[in-house]
Amino acid sequence: MSGVSPLEEEVAKLIVQTLNLKIDPVQIQPEQLLFGKGLGLDSIDALELSLAISQSYGYHIRSDDPEITATLASLRSLCTSIQKNRTK
Amino acid sequence: MSLQWLRQRERGSVAALHFMVWVALRLGRPAARALLYPICAYYVVFSGRARRAIRQFLFRVLGRRISWRHLFHHYHCFASTILDRVYSLVGQHHRFQIDVQGADLLTDYLNRGQGCILLGSHLGSFEIVRALGMSRRNLEIKVLLHEDNAPMIREVVRSLNPQIADTVITVGAPDTMLQVKDCLDRGGLVGFMGDRLVQHHQATLCKFFGTLARFPTGTMRLTSVLKAPVILFFGLYRGGNRWEVHFELFAEHVILDKEHHDQQIQQWTQRYADRLEHYCRLAPDNWFNFYDFWSER
Repeated sequence: MSGVSPLEEEVAKLIVQTLNLKIDPVQIQPEQLLFGKGLGLDSIDALELSLAISQSYGYHIRSDDPEITATLASLRSLCTSIQKNRTK
Repeated sequence: MSLQWLRQRERGSVAALHFMVWVALRLGRPAARALLYPICAYYVVFSGRARRAIRQFLFRVLGRRISWRHLFHHYHCFASTILDRVYSLVGQHHRFQIDVQGADLLTDYLNRGQGCILLGSHLGSFEIVRALGMSRRNLEIKVLLHEDNAPMIREVVRSLNPQIADTVITVGAPDTMLQVKDCLDRGGLVGFMGDRLVQHHQATLCKFFGTLARFPTGTMRLTSVLKAPVILFFGLYRGGNRWEVHFELFAEHVILDKEHHDQQIQQWTQRYADRLEHYCRLAPDNWFNFYDFWSER
């Protein structure tokens, strides 16, 4: 697994911890889909995850953000948005 | 609980629905209600699987032989709620006589600007809550629905009241629940139903009328993440133009701890199933899950 940024590593841990997943954080591939067929998360997980992100990074993911589906697509896209919008 | 409802196609056709709406709005409620008799008779005779499911449900509740008369009454009750939904959608709430119980509970929260979850079911109709919302200006009400099985009904609703159609949040997209959270944060109401299973692997077994049935786990997962008060809601049709609305506090906040997550989901869901059973006994003819609720498939 090459080219995983420190932030990606950190957020992968946050995902596993927040959602109580029975996997190792390094198993989450950066480009793997988080929802549906990929990691299999659902919209309740998405809500829980975005609340955790808001708490950890001060980035509040808004439901009326037109980019929201792209943001939540993969670990990588999520981290790109966190990088851009984080306040802590 | 089963996924049969997803597989059951909507009966009737768009044309028939539009015709009913036309009769309801042009010729009035008595004429439309007269039309319900032949329609119900048709469905009682030709809807084999739904009829068997209702017969089974009524037998569990009433504990005696279910006659054609019971079945016809059940279908008629369902058709009446659909008809009244038309009047509700176009804002003609004056047609109903609504007896509300537990409204103070909700009003107290809303006056404090606290958004609330209205946890309902397919016992009775959710639509009637809009009649109450009308008396409060600026109250935001959203309903979370799984709509894939009812594109025709959605189209008719949109034609009657496009604004109300916009208050529906459709389950499915990753951001669905963020919309729910945002509405609650604005002090609004979000309603959803806790009795129908959407995904087969996300079920918990609860005792319902003495036999285990599958209920969705998503309901309690969602309420715990949203951290908002959960109020049970039942909008029961009582014949004629009478409706009875019940609000009841389910939980100030549903808390699930990570260690006993699944077990606690089952316990909370069982509490919901118990209250649902209570209201089913009050109005068994309002049960609108027309499939085998106890099915293992």
